[in-house]
Amino acid sequence: MYWEDVELGVTTQLGAYTFREGEMIEFSRAYDPQPFHIDREAAKASFYGGIIASGWHVCAIWMKLMIASSEARRNADADEPRAGVSPGFLDLRWLKPTRPGMTLHYDSTTHEKIELKSRQDIGLIRTLNLAVDDNGETVMSFTGQGFWPRRPKE
Amino acid sequence: MTIDIYFEDLPVGKIIEFGGKWVTREEIIDFAQEFDPQPHHLDDEAAKESILGGLSASGWHTCAMMMRMLVDGLARRAASMGSPGIEEVRWMKPVRPGDVLKMRGEVVGARVSKSRPDMGIVDIVWALFNQREQVALMRATGLYGVRHPQAGGVA
Repeated sequence: MYWEDVELGVTTQLGAYTFREGEMIEFSRAYDPQPFHIDREAAKASFYGGIIASGWHVCAIWMKLMIASSEARRNADADEPRAGVSPGFLDLRWLKPTRPGMTLHYDSTTHEKIELKSRQDIGLIRTLNLAVDDNGETVMSFTGQGFWPRRPKE
Repeated sequence: MTIDIYFEDLPVGKIIEFGGKWVTREEIIDFAQEFDPQPHHLDDEAAKESILGGLSASGWHTCAMMMRMLVDGLARRAASMGSPGIEEVRWMKPVRPGDVLKMRGEVVGARVSKSRPDMGIVDIVWALFNQREQVALMRATGLYGVRHPQAGGVA
């Protein structure tokens, strides 16, 4: 499957993940040790009123589910592409706090195809990625970017 | 922990530098096993064959390491109220085992929230360097307490 074959507006469900307080605190102790991520008492007194997940933890789970979903599709169909290399992302928004016990449902929608002037052999695909809570409210969103191989010219 | 950095201390043009984070092979593989199990983040041989030419950290791991440096270098001392988001991250060069990472930020926007005058909104462009070159860029919005709120507030 080449860049030319990617259809826009196609949504892939990546799966759901329930955040547990213990792993939220463990992630934040390593990477984001702010009081409202690691200390119950301090979190209660903060702006957020309780422990919330690091926004980067919410993103890391997106990656985990993206890889698992891509591997599952490859196991079903060997022509499915592997996750590619990414030059970065845009417009990451943490819209609502993620609290202990919350389940987030992640999806990814193909959004934009960009030809690269500098490279004939790869193109860029942009995706719109969402994490949504059980009430259907968006908790996190970002525009992802991935390089895809282009169909070789005859 | 002394809080001595407020919104007023982060005016446009302010430069902030910190870091000295040493990246180990073990932590690159640990993070990747949990969150980003792709061969170029897990295995030296497979990584050599890949477009990245050797074992490298997951881009999300790079973001997490930047966050940790940001907490240690700035947020611990600041009246930090979290972040609504990140405008852009560019993963420019691979982050490898043995790299020593440093960050340099420049404040490019600073305004007091209209709805919450006790809260300031600060935009900072962060450059991440290893010992040789710039490896990533992050344009981030942070919320900071205002030292002298015009009305009420927590600062």
